[in-house]
Formats: sequence, C-alpha cells, structure tokens
Amino acid sequence: MTLHTPARRQWPLLAALALLALATALPRTARAQDDDHVFTSTSTGVDRIRIAAAGFKPLATDATTTGYKHLFDNTLYSDLNSAGIFDLVSQSLAPMATPGTPAEMVVAQWSAAPANAAMVAFGSLNVTGGNVVVNGWLYDTKNTVDPKVLGQQYSEPASDEDTRHIAHEFADEIILRLGGGLPGIAETHIFYVSAHGGNKEIWEMDYDGQSAHQITHLDTITLSPRISPDGNRLAFASLGHDGWNIRVFSMLLGRMVSFPAIGGTNLSPAWSSDGRSIAFSSSRSGDPEIYIGDEAGNNLRRVTAYRGPDVSPVWNPRTNSQIAWISGRTGLPQLYIMDSDGTNVQRMTDGGYATSPSWSPNGQFLAFAWDRKYGPGAPGGQDIYVMEIATKRWIQLTHDTGGRCDFPSWSPDGRHIVFESDSGKSSDIWTMLADGTGRHKLTVGGTSTMPNWSWK
Amino acid sequence: MATRIHIAAPPITGRANVGGSLVLHVLFAGGIALFAYTHHFFGHSWGDNNQNIGAIQASMVNAIPLPSTAPPTDNVLATDNPSQTPAPLTPAATTAPKPDEVLIPTKTKPPTKIAEHTTPSILHPQTVAPSNRIPAGEAPGMRIAVSTVSLATGTSSMSVPAGDFGARYAYYVNGINHTVAGQWWQQEPDPRASDGRSVTLIFDVLRDGTPTNVRVEKSSGSPTLDASAKHALQRVDGFGGLPDTYRGDRITVEYQFDYHRPQ
Repeated sequence: MTLHTPARRQWPLLAALALLALATALPRTARAQDDDHVFTSTSTGVDRIRIAAAGFKPLATDATTTGYKHLFDNTLYSDLNSAGIFDLVSQSLAPMATPGTPAEMVVAQWSAAPANAAMVAFGSLNVTGGNVVVNGWLYDTKNTVDPKVLGQQYSEPASDEDTRHIAHEFADEIILRLGGGLPGIAETHIFYVSAHGGNKEIWEMDYDGQSAHQITHLDTITLSPRISPDGNRLAFASLGHDGWNIRVFSMLLGRMVSFPAIGGTNLSPAWSSDGRSIAFSSSRSGDPEIYIGDEAGNNLRRVTAYRGPDVSPVWNPRTNSQIAWISGRTGLPQLYIMDSDGTNVQRMTDGGYATSPSWSPNGQFLAFAWDRKYGPGAPGGQDIYVMEIATKRWIQLTHDTGGRCDFPSWSPDGRHIVFESDSGKSSDIWTMLADGTGRHKLTVGGTSTMPNWSWK
Repeated sequence: MATRIHIAAPPITGRANVGGSLVLHVLFAGGIALFAYTHHFFGHSWGDNNQNIGAIQASMVNAIPLPSTAPPTDNVLATDNPSQTPAPLTPAATTAPKPDEVLIPTKTKPPTKIAEHTTPSILHPQTVAPSNRIPAGEAPGMRIAVSTVSLATGTSSMSVPAGDFGARYAYYVNGINHTVAGQWWQQEPDPRASDGRSVTLIFDVLRDGTPTNVRVEKSSGSPTLDASAKHALQRVDGFGGLPDTYRGDRITVEYQFDYHRPQ
C-alpha cells in the first residue's frame, strides 16, 4: 500500500479524532489499493423453523387485561421474528381460533395450509391480584402423539415493563429449545451513548429498543460503554479535569466506583469474558498503546510497543488469550490480532481505514467498521464487515445505508450485530442479523452512538 | 539642380522598442488571462455540467438506433409491420360430381385384433421384513429419525439409534444437527484427500445437553477430515437440555460428515 507523507503526519491526530467520534470531517489524504474480492458467508446456525405465535387468550374482557394481552402478543411476535432462526407465520394466515389451553388446541388447524406451522406457541393471559399471569405452551404440530415441547407459567406484577419481560422470557425459552441450545437474546440489553439530555451520557435499553433510560449523570462527555460479563459493572471513557480516563459505574450500587487514573488519554476499555481483566488504550507514555490490567485497574502491563497509535482493543471471548485492536503503525488504521501477551501479531486488513473491532462470542469472526477505499474521491463509504479469522475472508454486511456505519457489537448468541449509522447530521443505533439481513433501527432522535450489547 | 529630399525617419531607440514590446506582450497575456477567467466562470468546460461538477458522467448504451433501411413511401396507410388480422378463409375448391359418374367407394381398413396377453408373470419368492408395529390402529405422525443438512461442502446427517427419540423429538435432533454443522469449519479438511469421503462419529448427549464421549465410528481415511469432524464437536458447548418429557439420562447420536470439494 502506498501512503503519502501527510497521512503519516496527520494520523495521530486523526486517530484521536476518530476515537472521539469526531472523525466525520477527516481529510482524505490517502488511497488504498484494490484487493481481491473474496467473499465468505456466516451461518446463523439453524435453518429457519416455521413457527406460529397464536394470539394469547385473555381470560377477562376488561381493558386492562386486553391491553396487556396485546402488548404481550406484539412483544412475543417481535422477539420470535427477530430471533433469526424462525420463519414466522403471518398473523393473517393464522387460524381464527385462539386456543388458551392444550385442551382447546387443535394441532391440525395449525399444521395445515395456509399456516403450515411446524411449531405453534399459544396460551392464556390473565390479571389477578395485581399480577399478570401467563400460561404458555409450545407445540410440535407434526407430532400428534406427544406434541408438547414446552409449558411454562409466569406471574409478574401488572405493568407494561413486566408484561414485556414475561414475553421476552417465554421467547427465550422457545429459542433455547429450538435453536440448538443457544440461549435467546430477548432479555439482553444494549448500552450506548446518547446526547439526548445535552451531554453525552451512557444510556441503557432493551435489545429491541424499548425501555431506554439514562445510566450516568456526569455532565461531561462519556464514550465507549462496555458492560462487564456479569452485568454488574459498566466501564467507559470519560472526560474529567485530568483528561480522558477510564471510569467504572456499578450497576448494583448505582454509583461510580474507583478506577485508577494513570495519566495520559485513556480510551476504549474492554472486559475479558471472565471479567477478571480489562484492556484499554493509554497514551501515558506519549504514544497510545494497549494496556491490560485487572478488573480494578491495577497490575497494569503494556502489551504493544510499536511506534504509532494502538487503540480499541477487544478480547477473544472464547479463549481470552487473544486481543484484536486497531493500529496505525503502518499509516492508516488497520485491524490486527495478537496474543494477550503481545506476541504473535498478525495484520488482518490489507488497506483502507478500519476501526472499532468486535469479536464474535464463538471466537470465529471479527466484526469491524471499514472504509475499504479510503481516499479523496474514493467510491463507497464506511460499512460494517465481518471477517473469518482463520481464513481472513470477509463479507460486507451493510450497503447503502446513507451514512457511515461504525461501532459494531455482537449479540451474545452471535446471531445479531448492533451498530451505529451516522448520516452526518444524526446518528442512530441499528440492529441486524449477522448475515446483514433483518436490519432495523432501534433509536430515534439522532443522538445515539457507540452501542455495546450486554453479555447475557 | 538636383533636389535632395531628406526623409527623416523618426529615431528608433532601443528602449522604446523594448518598452512597446513589453506593453504589447502584457496586453496580450492579460487578454488571454481575462478570457480564460471569464470563460472559466461563465462558460462550459469539457465533461462538465452544472449538475455534476467535478465528475464526468458517461451514459453507456449498448445499441444506437439507426434509421430504417426501408425506402420511404407516400402511402400514409403503409406500415413496416404486417397486420395482425388473419386473412379471410377461402373455401377449398370442390368439383361437383357428374350426373352419370359412379363414385368409387373408399376402402377402410378394419382394425387389427390383438389377442389379450394372458401369460402369467413368474412370481418370485418375496421376503417380508419383520415389523414390530402394533397392527391395531395407525401410527400418525411417523417421522424419519434421520436429519440431514446440506452444506456448501457436502452434507451432514445424523440419527439417534436407540428408541424413538428421533421420532418424538425431531426438533431436538434438528437442533443438534444444525449446531454441529454450524461448527464444522469446512476449510479444515484437505480438499483433495477428503473429496467424496465421509466420517461417522458417535457421541453421547447428557441430560443437560453437553456432548461427551466423542469417538470415530467409521474413519474416512482422511486424517484432516476426521480431525475436522472431531473439532466441530469440541467447539459445541451444548445443545440445550434434553426434552423435559424424555425420561432417559442421555442419548447416543451417530453423526456423519460427508465432504465434497467446493466448486
């Protein structure tokens, strides 16, 4: 790759700007060479099972019960539809009957045309004693001898949020049974940065964009939220009196907990999957390098020592023995992997402008943002790519989104990716299946960025 | 007397010559610059228009419509295209028979009679496979307890030998099959040595869904294919707990990996 001298001079500044999400107006000073068009594909694991979600039968006709019933039905339908492993029967093709119990269930109605469902989820919903009580079943319509796959009962306080939670739980049970043992993600959360209140603070929402609420109230700029694997601690980079530092918020205590300030600009923290180590980039020595410390930020050790910025580390969650990161040691930022002791460095991308890696839960893939033809007048833009690490083959997931795509983050089941799409005027958070299909927007308002999917 | 006419030419000095030349050059260069300047802003340049400043827009066509080769005609009703209306039917010309003519009757061939084939076919002795089905009533929802997945580089199929697990819990068998298939990294087998070969593994699935006791039942003869199959099982954390209504504590699964070289 041929690089011009100005790019080398400007790269440290560009890297810092990119990390601060201000890279929209970066000068395009270099052009990457073309490379071979080699494509691979990712598998979401399971062929799609045709499943029907029958409307749950309300056991009372009052407005409260009916309201919760519709909320439950819509949430369950949405969860199953976005799971990525089902071919959901359209509600217009479902039989008119609304079975509430197994005795009312006529399997043949659902296995026959036009529904042609292989599985059907049904049940009843009632509001008694201030609680929403849901009985749900999953039936195998092709097995008339013993069709029951799942039968669950839930009882939660009567509220919209708890009703949605019941639907998420039931959807996850179905996905666990039919998805080859991979747990569903309906109960997971997404942490992200939002400037909704004027300052960039950390927010949290359900995986489907519902129940968004603010986590931090630091009245400053906070970036790069990363939730710990146990879900108890939230690490992020925050601008304080002494510059950019890694800070940690306890989700259990609801307040900040201590994390040492080591000097320099400290950005992009990353938890190991065992929750015992945290990697981040620090310029305490003058040059941004990757450091690894324990969960409290102690026992720091530096694992990169090459001139040029090294930022955005992520662990291989499968083994915790490898780290992928972005390095500008050869000019424009490229994707690298190395062992967690700093050895065995491999460059993964061969050109362009790569940022924001995210390692898939099974350790097989890296998702990252990549501008393959970086330079003045170059075609294309920044999109989300997935690379198979063993072969370095890649696939482009986003096309023509009308803006820069950045900050991909894998869901814990490895079937979904959440990312940010920035049109220049506004940025919102989107989600899609890991093969690039099923893309839809989660946030509105145009002030959301840097999503991070929780571990469970 | 000779008249002497003195024509006095104006004295040409070197300085005036140079000065005039400079003025003319400056004026000429200034004119070119002014023309270029005004033309730059108010005229059009090559490959440029107001909608696409800074880029050349080319419209590629694969055919240019040439003029018709048919000669022109003054008939306003003439057309190059034939009418779609079919021509009117003309009755076939028939000649009336003469009054004293004796018509020769047309001979018709009688149909050939074909004797029915009554030779009985030879009955070979038939062996009927023993069945353990209960003759009373039918067994609805019979399922084949073998699940097959088509992959880019072959197929993988599996069966649960014992009991009717595959028939009762086909969805679970399907989940096992696809989970293992998804973890089979098809770049691991050597394409040439493994092409057309298959390896069969046997493993147990415990109550909590964990695969264990993986062994090769039938080797493919290609060490890389055998290893890739075992690696696929090693990458699986679990298949999810066995179905609630299943009373056993484990199931044994036969899993066959068929490899075909990618095209």
